[in-house]
Amino acid sequence: MKADSNKFPELNKTKFENRGKEFKLGIPVTNAITIGNSVAVGFGDGTVRIFRSGQISEVIKAHSGVVLSISKDGEDILTGGDDGRFLKISLDGEINEIANFGSRWVDHVTAYNGSLVCTSGNIVYLWMPNKKEPKLLEHESTIGGVAFDSKGRRLAVSRYGGVTLWKKDYSNKWSSSNLIWKGSHNKVIFSTDDRFLVTSMQENQLHFWRLKDKTDSFMSGYGAKVKSFAFVYDSKFLVTSGSNEAICWPFDGNGPEGRKPICLPYVGNKLVTFVEPFPNENAIFTGLSDGSVFLSEIEKSINTIIIRSFTQSEVTAIAVTEDCSSILIGDIGGNILWTSIWDEEEK
Amino acid sequence: MGETNKQVPVTVLTGFLGAGKTTLLNRILTEQHGKKYAVIVNEFGEQGIDNDLVVDADEEVFEMNNGCICCTVRGDLIRILSGLMKRADKLDAIIVETTGLADPAPVAQTFFVDQDVADRTKLDAIVTVADAVHLSTQLSDHHEAEEQVAFADVVLLNKIDLVDESRLDAVKDRIKKINPFAKIIHTTKCGVSLSEILNLDAFNLKRILDTEPDFLTSDHDHEHDDDVTSLSFVSDTPLDMEKFQDWFSKLLQTKGQDILRTKGILDFKGENDRYVFQGVHMLMDASPMGKWPEGKERNSRLVFIGRNLESMNLKEGFENCKSA
Repeated sequence: MKADSNKFPELNKTKFENRGKEFKLGIPVTNAITIGNSVAVGFGDGTVRIFRSGQISEVIKAHSGVVLSISKDGEDILTGGDDGRFLKISLDGEINEIANFGSRWVDHVTAYNGSLVCTSGNIVYLWMPNKKEPKLLEHESTIGGVAFDSKGRRLAVSRYGGVTLWKKDYSNKWSSSNLIWKGSHNKVIFSTDDRFLVTSMQENQLHFWRLKDKTDSFMSGYGAKVKSFAFVYDSKFLVTSGSNEAICWPFDGNGPEGRKPICLPYVGNKLVTFVEPFPNENAIFTGLSDGSVFLSEIEKSINTIIIRSFTQSEVTAIAVTEDCSSILIGDIGGNILWTSIWDEEEK
Repeated sequence: MGETNKQVPVTVLTGFLGAGKTTLLNRILTEQHGKKYAVIVNEFGEQGIDNDLVVDADEEVFEMNNGCICCTVRGDLIRILSGLMKRADKLDAIIVETTGLADPAPVAQTFFVDQDVADRTKLDAIVTVADAVHLSTQLSDHHEAEEQVAFADVVLLNKIDLVDESRLDAVKDRIKKINPFAKIIHTTKCGVSLSEILNLDAFNLKRILDTEPDFLTSDHDHEHDDDVTSLSFVSDTPLDMEKFQDWFSKLLQTKGQDILRTKGILDFKGENDRYVFQGVHMLMDASPMGKWPEGKERNSRLVFIGRNLESMNLKEGFENCKSA
């Protein structure tokens, strides 16, 4: 046999790939959201597809450009697009336009118990349950991200210069306070126990605030922008992309200040582009720039298994169904793997 | 990542209100059949733009937290360019129209500083549309007009039918004094061949060698201190690399706010390669660009465009870099 250096070696497929379904759609996957045991996926051509029991839905022609953001409200999908539309889509594919901002993009969407939020430019539009007209929360600069806390009483809005923290009192009035840190803040999340707020920045670093005393600090050392980060189920760790390892910061006790993160290395030494916590475990799925995906236990990284081998396209979405039975992986090249997490006999 | 890695060229259109930016933009869009363009406009646009893909921008200028005092970027551009790169249909080019009063530096710096933007797009050229009738007054009255000329790779001198020859010459001299390496194109109603303003690859170091900008040493009259002017230097004696790096990095660190643009081709003692660089304020792109061509004289040429250049002892600093 003669080696051909121009060809990629034929890698054996993983057992997850062998028992799952692969879809080569050729359209960039921009985001995904779990709704029960279904996963809704947004694409770079404005379409949404729903994956359920290994089956792919009819194409839902939601937006004319890119699905920029995705979230859920109960059983419904929420999407924001670069066609300026904010949509609510049922799992049956029925589209309901909530707002249309024309040539202004809808950058971020989220919801809590029927309260719907989208952002366009520097304004948060907030629809309280069953209200037709939104409340407008204006900010000094374009909004980088938006997140409700676990009780829906606080809404964090990241922007240039810090985070505006909106708080709802018992008469449903919203008032704001500011968490200040120089620079441009992008995505924002609360820890699952609501004790911390974390933002990613334009610089290759994250910033966090401990909310009880508003102390803050940063997490740096990344080789790239941190685009994907999330807390594991009990907030013991914040898992982050942006390096050639998955960087897991300890957030138990008083948080990560003065402590070292756990760094999980992967074969190939590629950039980690997406992280998704495994529900109810100190474990994460890690997606890399070459399309490969691994599952690791954070404190026992020896227990790392490969879920998907490489596709040459960076991983842009990972979603696990609510019953933890299945996982969906999507990448910028439009390759999707939908597979069961457990062997039949492991169940 | 294969084809997703192809960099989409971005052309920046600057110019004062009324100079003819939107006329030029509509000309580009109607003449380029079969090409897919995204146009990023500001909210103060003069008239309608006829394109499928028009994005409203807010011209938000952000300071970077990277210790570089004059390093500002356009936050809205980072967001919009990243969003456009997620599209399923690939764009042939992106055109960014700035407001009349915008400083082009943050736009240019965005392409140096943001890794995602640099990976997926490239700054093709800065095209400044100038009104032949009003440019002289605008240059005297507004810093921004000077900056737009200083940063330009191409100056489209528009409405030349409305001025006589002597006035046209005076305006051209004024432009040359500010920016000796901008190409000046005369137009009425922005009538220009699109090949002269699109796909120029003006920020590619190779292009600096190809275009051989006007590096003639300029003796220059004393201007008002805050006028934008240019100074250039030529040396037939090879330079000492260590001395040059030391001088030049200190110069940019301390005077980077006043130095708008720099370009140079350098001959270092003991090195076989030509070194080419270009900079925007403190940010610099530099690289060896292959051997000196046979039969061509080796020398070092350097151009500065900026304010208060007289106070920086540039000539003395450059002379001190010559190898012994």
